[in-house]
Amino acid sequence: MLTEGLVVVHECLGAADQRLRRLVLKGPIAKTAKAGQFVAVLVQDSSIPSYDPLLRRPISLAEISPDRDEITLLYRIQGRGTEILARARCGEQLSLMGPLGQGFSLPEVGELWLVAGGIGVFPLYALAQSALDQGLNVRLFWGGENQSFLISAGLPAWQALEIPLNLSTLDGTLGERGLVTEQLQGRLSELFGHTKQENTSSPQIRVATCGPKKMMQAVTELCVNYAVPVQVSLEERMGCAVGACLGCVCTLIDKAGTLSHKKVCQDGPVFRGEEVVWDGLC
Amino acid sequence: MDCVDLTTVLAGITLRNPVVTCSGTYGFGEEYADYCPLEALGGITLKGITPLPRLGNSVPRLAETPAGLLNSVGLENPGLEDFLVSYLPKVRKMPTAVIANISGFSLEDYVQMARALQVDSGLAALEVNISCPNVKHGGMHFGTDPHSAEEVIAAVKAVTNLPTIAKLSPNVTDIVEMARAAQRGGADALSLINTLLGMRIDIEQQRPLLANTFGGLSGPAIRPVAVRMVWQVAEAVDLPIIGMGGITTWQDAVEFLLAGATAISIGTGNFVNPQAPLEIIQGIKGYCEKHGLTSVRNLVGLAHKG
Repeated sequence: MLTEGLVVVHECLGAADQRLRRLVLKGPIAKTAKAGQFVAVLVQDSSIPSYDPLLRRPISLAEISPDRDEITLLYRIQGRGTEILARARCGEQLSLMGPLGQGFSLPEVGELWLVAGGIGVFPLYALAQSALDQGLNVRLFWGGENQSFLISAGLPAWQALEIPLNLSTLDGTLGERGLVTEQLQGRLSELFGHTKQENTSSPQIRVATCGPKKMMQAVTELCVNYAVPVQVSLEERMGCAVGACLGCVCTLIDKAGTLSHKKVCQDGPVFRGEEVVWDGLC
Repeated sequence: MDCVDLTTVLAGITLRNPVVTCSGTYGFGEEYADYCPLEALGGITLKGITPLPRLGNSVPRLAETPAGLLNSVGLENPGLEDFLVSYLPKVRKMPTAVIANISGFSLEDYVQMARALQVDSGLAALEVNISCPNVKHGGMHFGTDPHSAEEVIAAVKAVTNLPTIAKLSPNVTDIVEMARAAQRGGADALSLINTLLGMRIDIEQQRPLLANTFGGLSGPAIRPVAVRMVWQVAEAVDLPIIGMGGITTWQDAVEFLLAGATAISIGTGNFVNPQAPLEIIQGIKGYCEKHGLTSVRNLVGLAHKG
């Protein structure tokens, strides 16, 4: 739907130098949205309408609160669009399209492992909340640059969920030093040993991941190796955000080896990891 | 005055109002259904199809520019056969005039598609894309050489009973020459303009931003170029024109009508505001009322007469 969101909170998230923002919008989208979906926000300084930037900005939902009619968007200021968005003040209305795309699907039972790289953690928070509401066990693997980033990007909120956290930082200032995929690999081999095997042992594990493409590709390879189903949330430059312009395609391969294009905005952004062709288009 | 006649006639088809949507920005008509009811629109133009399915270009396919958008989708489409089976049956039921858009790499390609698309297919018209800048050895070639343009339009006209609209490329020295060629080929109407060829470079990567290097520029940035071309062609050629290029508001639309467009089409503007077509229809109506015009048809080309 095309609707408006009233800005009820718009604040700096964590340390100022991380350039992260938390934006809470009141409106009808919360009633129907699910984790993994996104909104397309019209980014305009309402005092000076302009066409630069021209396109809406797709931003994932970090929290969905249907009882309060609120959605939370977390984002990093990294270009003209987000720079202008960051000026939106409480009380302003932002034009929104959404909820858009296909979100994550939750298993009925078992354990959900979330694997996040950097600000890819944002949409996984909404997923963690739904999974916990449904009584699933949730574990987060999260890698970031350093301690300051992880704390700024919402670590306290994750700690409040009281779930197991496997943290890594590139400089070792928090959690393990290294990549998030190393922690995932460690945990997988602890459970399943070093050889590929069917994920039939109890509990059933499912993985959902969001982060840089290379990271998600590595996560997918690990999961495929252990026959663990994995959902990935892809990112691509979007035009229309509703599947009309074919600007944001990705390539999938099915079991028969047939390649096809899917629209990240409409068919995704969440896809089954094992179906994604990571090294570009055909 | 409380009654403005918004209907318009274009290439023998009556549109309930002069507002249509551009090929390549409106999918196959269903994507925007939640945002803009089809029955409100004068018409829609479907995504361009080719004889065989095409996967299109690699990503990134999009790059923003000030007030503009570069795209290099590369005519990704399901191909003629799948279009006929999976999409055309839905198109028949759409409560608006539906214009199919065809692209090809050879004369035979265009003929093959035109032959398959006739009045009884439920379409209102056929838009012949001789102006796609994003595929090699085709599309735009037919739109930059007057002889080829005439030939392809004539070949299409010979095999379909649908009204034929030639979509012209602005990437030419003389748009009027191309419009005349389309007219000689028997075109019933013209779509002006397709995108302007452009590019961006990522200064950190020091590489072109689009995977395809070049893309077609659309959006408000190109509007003055489009208005100028509509004006020039309207002066020189006696064919109805669908004006397009950067229309996002009713004021933009009125500018095109005054320049000589019989109808206008909204493309990239849908991405910014999916309800732009509705607002533009209302805005045109309001403008006519304010200026004492009983029919939107009276607006067409008005700026030429002053």
